[in-house]
Amino acid sequence: MAEEMQLTNTSANNFEQCLKCSICTVYCPVSAVNTAYPGPKQAGPDGERYRLKDPDFYQETLKLCLNCKRCEVACPSGVRIGDIIQQARMNHFTHRPKLRDVMLANTDFVGSMVTLVAPITNFTLGLKPVKVVMDAALAIDKHRTFPAYSGTKFERWYKKHAAAEQDTFAKHVSYFHGCYVNYNFPKLGQDLVKLMNAVGYGVRLLEKEKCCGVALMSNGLYKQARRQGETNMASMRLAIERGEEVLTTSSTCTFTMRDEYAHLLGIANDDVRAHLTLATRFLYRLIDEGSVQLAFRPDYKRRLAYHTACHMQRMGWAIYSIELLRMIPGLELDVLESQCCGIAGTYGFKKENYATSQAIGESLFQSIADANVEAVVTDCETCKWQIEMSTGVPVENPISVLADALDVEKTKKLNGL
Amino acid sequence: MRYDTVIMGGGLSGLMCGIALCKAGQRVAIVTSGQSSLHFNGGSLELLGYVDGQPVTHPLESINQLPAGHPYQKLGAERIAALAHEAALVLADAGLHTTGNANENHCRISPMGVMLPAWLTLEGYVALPMGKDCPWRRVLMVNVEGYLDFPVDFVVSGLRKQGLDVVVADVVTDELEQRRHTPSEMRATQLAKVLSTRVATEHLADAINVAAVDVDAILLPAIIGLTDDSLERLRQLVKLPLHLVATLPPSVAGTRMQAQLRHYFQMLGGTYLLGDTVTCASFNGDAVASVETEKLGDMPLRATHFVLATGSFMSKGLAANFERVYEPVMNLDVDADGSRSEWTRYDVLEPQPYMTYGVATTADFHVVKGGKPVPNVFAIGSVLSGHDAVKNHDGTGVSALTGLAVAHNILGK
Repeated sequence: MAEEMQLTNTSANNFEQCLKCSICTVYCPVSAVNTAYPGPKQAGPDGERYRLKDPDFYQETLKLCLNCKRCEVACPSGVRIGDIIQQARMNHFTHRPKLRDVMLANTDFVGSMVTLVAPITNFTLGLKPVKVVMDAALAIDKHRTFPAYSGTKFERWYKKHAAAEQDTFAKHVSYFHGCYVNYNFPKLGQDLVKLMNAVGYGVRLLEKEKCCGVALMSNGLYKQARRQGETNMASMRLAIERGEEVLTTSSTCTFTMRDEYAHLLGIANDDVRAHLTLATRFLYRLIDEGSVQLAFRPDYKRRLAYHTACHMQRMGWAIYSIELLRMIPGLELDVLESQCCGIAGTYGFKKENYATSQAIGESLFQSIADANVEAVVTDCETCKWQIEMSTGVPVENPISVLADALDVEKTKKLNGL
Repeated sequence: MRYDTVIMGGGLSGLMCGIALCKAGQRVAIVTSGQSSLHFNGGSLELLGYVDGQPVTHPLESINQLPAGHPYQKLGAERIAALAHEAALVLADAGLHTTGNANENHCRISPMGVMLPAWLTLEGYVALPMGKDCPWRRVLMVNVEGYLDFPVDFVVSGLRKQGLDVVVADVVTDELEQRRHTPSEMRATQLAKVLSTRVATEHLADAINVAAVDVDAILLPAIIGLTDDSLERLRQLVKLPLHLVATLPPSVAGTRMQAQLRHYFQMLGGTYLLGDTVTCASFNGDAVASVETEKLGDMPLRATHFVLATGSFMSKGLAANFERVYEPVMNLDVDADGSRSEWTRYDVLEPQPYMTYGVATTADFHVVKGGKPVPNVFAIGSVLSGHDAVKNHDGTGVSALTGLAVAHNILGK
């Protein structure tokens, strides 16, 4: 009884667990470089005390939070500081999102349109005058390089070249590819198919996949995010009913769908959550329990650095990607100090955030330069854009690295195929 | 996932233990729920500061005055001397150079201006000889305008009590002034970030040099030297010896210690799972086979040995409800008074009984469950019963020494 009283007497996002220790403030990448931001403690639990009494205490500066969740990782008391801040924005920020924000947020609609004319778009977005106009008219910072759009969507490639073969496998997984794989970088999806097929798993796509909604949420389009979230959960339930785990290759999509759906959008995902996982974690589990084996090319030799993306750190799953990469005999891996790269999805694309974004990433960029590696490995696509733009060092997903290093024939043989 | 040893808790004790195990070639994982209470540390470790309310000058000689259940009594003075020596070497290997030794305490200044006995103090921080004459006659106390986490009047009055002549000067630089823009973020660690650039350090040095007239030494609130060598640079740029005085937390010194020790542990090959919490343990007979964490879910961490370094009540290594004090991960036996009315004393300044509560351990720090020792699980640091860190000023010493001692136990030395 006593325990029950204490256990149930908990407010949303563990708000009342804050001891006021202020440790979160040490680890906020924004307040370290931007003095306009009141910091996670003030924006989060401290400000919340006032906002609960009077919504007028809401401050516009809360939009400077880039939702990296590093405050939550640092908090010794389990307070969901980042969620408190996001929730406050959802509750109190009532302006209609700007045209620019709507465009940045609608990754799949814009992606679909643009794919049709990809070469023109890539060319146009790269033009200096276009960048200047976007900077002036839309406040999308002119320094930014837009990720190139692929001419063929991953879904289209899959239907044409992979779908038929997948049914020949005895075991299956479903794949939530996300917008980035679909519109910008189908190769990552192809790498996943190659890898899973080599260990005896057929890869299926979901009945209906929508953007996870992370960009919608950070740009104030909550209703649309909730609708898309419900669609994704429904599609995943169908896959799970078929006995398939749902795999992902983006840490942020995964974090959004596993944690933010429930914490911020009120989407019930308990039944899906346990079956929705990053491909690296799924693969590590299979290897750890001895049910699959990987064989790597003897001629593979590379020196790479691993960057722990913020939401990867928050999920606590970097260990799986790192341990998998360490299995590759020819790979020398330098694990970089875990820190924010500054982009935070669409945050860094906005003109008003550009300086903050780059100042946050500065020490990471320096450590990448010092590491003197061929490429950086990370599980987040927006970190990839930021690091490639800011350092010139190419960035790859661990799944692509594994697929590249894999000795496919030997792996198939090891797994009885 | 399989390790030689899994340590629950990534503060001072867990890291000391983990470092010693990694150095011996073990595969070690540390799971830690957020950052540790090291962030409240002012730059000094204490072995034993007080016994029965009296300050201790020679800690090794005073250990026999401690109650029988105290963790130090399980180690004995001889082993404590050896472990204390080893601890200072580990800190130095991690890049944390200290002054002081276990034979004789020195004094540090608390942020409230009180002189407190200390064992090791980070280089660059004030460490005064205990019970002897102060090396300075007249000092400059630098006050940073708008910085509220350093009650300068208290510190000055503490210094004056030592017979020192103290001059206070308000110092302003462009960089510090810019930080004042958000008062809620005018904190030691934020100021240290601002001061980390070469230019900002030079500006601060210039401002200090103007104020440092006719004094023997300069005292500065500890707002510099978080991750880089800016403190060393500043000390070269000012024309007189400069020493840091601890501020209110989160402190630059504590954050630096945490980061350096964690970094050293990872450099030795250790896995540090920050922001994760051990939820439960699976037993195989009397021994623990694996532990589960919040984030890793149904993929447990298996190991030969487990170490509980989860801290006391504040760090949730211990918990209490209306009925009992308990250990939340494995429900281990705890040393605590049974009746709730006995846990606290009315006068808040009296020794509080709950401060000595903790998990029960055997002579070599094996934990106990249902009256039986758990053969492969040890406890270290603040989660141990039998010591009152507030009254004895022995918290960091117990953490560092039991961490190392248990590492040796595991390695069979």
